[in-house]
Amino acid sequence: MTRGAVLATLALLLGVPAPSFAQAPPYSLLLKGGHVVDPRNGVDAVVDVAIADGKVAAIESSIDPARAARVADVTGLYVVPGLIDLHAHVYLGTAPDSYLSDGDVGAHADSHSFRAGQTTLVDAGGPGWRNVDHFRSSVVNRSRTRILAFINIAGHGMAGGPLEQDLGDMDAKLTAQRILANRDLIVGVKVAHYIGPEWDPVTRAVEAGRQGGVPVMIDFGRNEPPQSLDDLLNRHLRPGDILTHAYAHVSARTPIVNPQGQVEPYVVAARRRGVIFDVGHGGGSFLFRQAIPATRQGFWPDVISTDLHTGSMNAGMMDLLNVMSKMLNLGMPLADTIRASTTRPAEIVRRPELGHLGVGAEADVAVLALRQGEFGFVDSSGWRLGGSRKLECEMTVKGGQVVWDLNGRSHTLWDAR
Amino acid sequence: MNTGSTLLRLSGAAMVVALASHVMTAQAPRRPAILLKGGHVIDARNGVNGIMDVAIADGKISAVGANLTAPADARVVDVRGLYVTPGLIDIHAHVFWGTDNTQYSNGPSSVPPDGHSFRAGQTTLVDAGGAGWRNFPLFKTQVIDRSRTRVLAFLNIAGHGMRGGPWEQDLGDMDAKLTAQRARQFRDQVVGVKVAHYEGPQWDPVTRAVEAGRQADIPVMIDFGGNEPPQSLDALLNTHLRPGDIFTHMYAHVRGRTPVVNAQGQVEPYVIAAQKRGVVFDVGHGGGSFLFRQAIPATRQGFWPDVISTDLHIGSMNSGMKDILNVMSKFLNLGMSLQDVVKANTARAAAVIKRTDLGHLGVGAEADVAVLALRKGEYGFVDSSGWKMPGTQKLECELTIKGGQVVWDLNGRSHADWTEDTAR
Repeated sequence: MTRGAVLATLALLLGVPAPSFAQAPPYSLLLKGGHVVDPRNGVDAVVDVAIADGKVAAIESSIDPARAARVADVTGLYVVPGLIDLHAHVYLGTAPDSYLSDGDVGAHADSHSFRAGQTTLVDAGGPGWRNVDHFRSSVVNRSRTRILAFINIAGHGMAGGPLEQDLGDMDAKLTAQRILANRDLIVGVKVAHYIGPEWDPVTRAVEAGRQGGVPVMIDFGRNEPPQSLDDLLNRHLRPGDILTHAYAHVSARTPIVNPQGQVEPYVVAARRRGVIFDVGHGGGSFLFRQAIPATRQGFWPDVISTDLHTGSMNAGMMDLLNVMSKMLNLGMPLADTIRASTTRPAEIVRRPELGHLGVGAEADVAVLALRQGEFGFVDSSGWRLGGSRKLECEMTVKGGQVVWDLNGRSHTLWDAR
Repeated sequence: MNTGSTLLRLSGAAMVVALASHVMTAQAPRRPAILLKGGHVIDARNGVNGIMDVAIADGKISAVGANLTAPADARVVDVRGLYVTPGLIDIHAHVFWGTDNTQYSNGPSSVPPDGHSFRAGQTTLVDAGGAGWRNFPLFKTQVIDRSRTRVLAFLNIAGHGMRGGPWEQDLGDMDAKLTAQRARQFRDQVVGVKVAHYEGPQWDPVTRAVEAGRQADIPVMIDFGGNEPPQSLDALLNTHLRPGDIFTHMYAHVRGRTPVVNAQGQVEPYVIAAQKRGVVFDVGHGGGSFLFRQAIPATRQGFWPDVISTDLHIGSMNSGMKDILNVMSKFLNLGMSLQDVVKANTARAAAVIKRTDLGHLGVGAEADVAVLALRKGEYGFVDSSGWKMPGTQKLECELTIKGGQVVWDLNGRSHADWTEDTAR
């Protein structure tokens, strides 16, 4: 609430006329003194960020506070584009036994997004072509968080059980038609949980992606013996397509780090040809046993994402900042962790207007504190790794509106008078 | 024993099942013994306030004392430098979430509890009137039975619950007898009766709620106001409410309700008298019900809350309220002692809802435990008018245990360290 709004509210409560403000300052909000990290625009410096009309209006050193209606001192903090979570599950609903497609295993978007600096969550395959309209009305339109979606190649979406195994319900054409009719919402196609051994879900998803002009995201494996990861990465997937759960080691999926402790050469080759590797932490998909050797060999994630759902939110995953902090403590530079959860996912979902702080961009901003201390991070097998740094969200701004303000930095001190 | 080695020994088949359901097998329903070592235990009900160990076995508190010896199979958790308290109880939350356009009653204004509870040290949330007698069974099957958080409820005196608009103004749908019958039918979950949002000027919602409360032997909670001119707060507190009944939104100043601090900056004497005769004053912070302009003069005059609660819903969760620890921290920084703050959210809250089995760490009690860090630094706290108060202390939840299960572990204190050998 601005100072003006506070006074107006007080005036209303006290029954006196509201004061008038002759000239509104040009900026609605000024983030002053923070360290801006905006990989897309090559900014990595202490500089002020001014917002007007919901857009980034100026990035300059020493912007005059008098030119803003509301000023937040963010000295000592990092100012970054609003974080984008490429892999979340927010198709929450009350349909019985419907898992992540209108069931109650999904999470409530606004309960998790803003407090972790996220302004955009991408639902990873909750709805399919049959229920994406319902997803829009029941979740997307009711959330303050920007919600995008990978549409599931299964028509009923991620509804669990046999509904996700029905090849007869995986239609590339109908899926593509939904993509083309919902370009504002659908940014990709998801394949998940298919037990195999057929390749049809993957080939149909890729075909739908080709027709719709969007990438596919694959949650691979379930067949025994595992289908070839090399075939998936280097024959089926196109540059720009995404393998999620990069550091998982589950039965029925070949891990990227082999028993000799080496990242499989074909995995490195796939990355080179442009396949995207996404963390997708989740409840069971992030093992230090994979991530530590892989990152030591230089195999860092393209994208850091949560796989948020009720099974991960209170486990080792917790939230996107915790997952970013894990990567930070594994040795990933801060600017790279930010790039992997802003600019990079925006590019991957072909929404380059998001994930950066260029003048004129939608004013989606996260202000992060980098805490120093003794912290611990837990993987999906329950192992703990100590760390000395941890990100905390101080402020989140979406479309110019302050939607989270941990310590009231954008607020005025109470005055007894 | 640690979850890591447990999981590594799982068969491939179990692993597939675990991953297919996206649920962490590390939290499977076996409950290893836990020893919380070296923390500062605050258990108001049992008069404990000092460095002690807490042992948990079979989901219950098995011992509290200095330098306890760990049973052979116990997971020992180092909690030195932290506070160990009973699992926090939030007596005013809105968790009857759903997909109808019905606000707090199976609608989108309420939130699923598990995304908010454990990370803030809460093991019990009390829904404050989302459901009425008509739709309580739906609330139970849709939310209570499917949440890991313990969810209890104040039943709304309006049969359809907190559904918004005229539904909450219909005196014809406010039935003391049916409400009391529903409360008795679901004794394990229904802990009180709620009146809210009624615009008046009739007293019937209050008198019927009190009658329902009398019949079912449970307290009522009142969210008062909405009439112009305001109905008498004195009459509510000292004529209608019984000792043990609850006045929520105590530090609010909204139209249609007399505030507790009057225009001269004094807490109304009849408000003090009401607290003295046993009326319970609850914070119920919410999106619009906590003003420093009320809370600062009131607390300076010694008028502290009996219970600190959130009024959690979509309009409060991302505003000045945030979570129970943020609201508790506000009171710490207003000068309330940590012991009193913890008591208000544990022993006192449990006593108010007559669930004295909860909110304490006595031997044999359900092992609901919160482990809290008291961070020192420069913090800010925002009220419902958008004013900020600086502060130097802030609570953070390190670990939450419910029924002996670790349900939140911020820094992995209950986990074994990864080593290079782990990879082999």
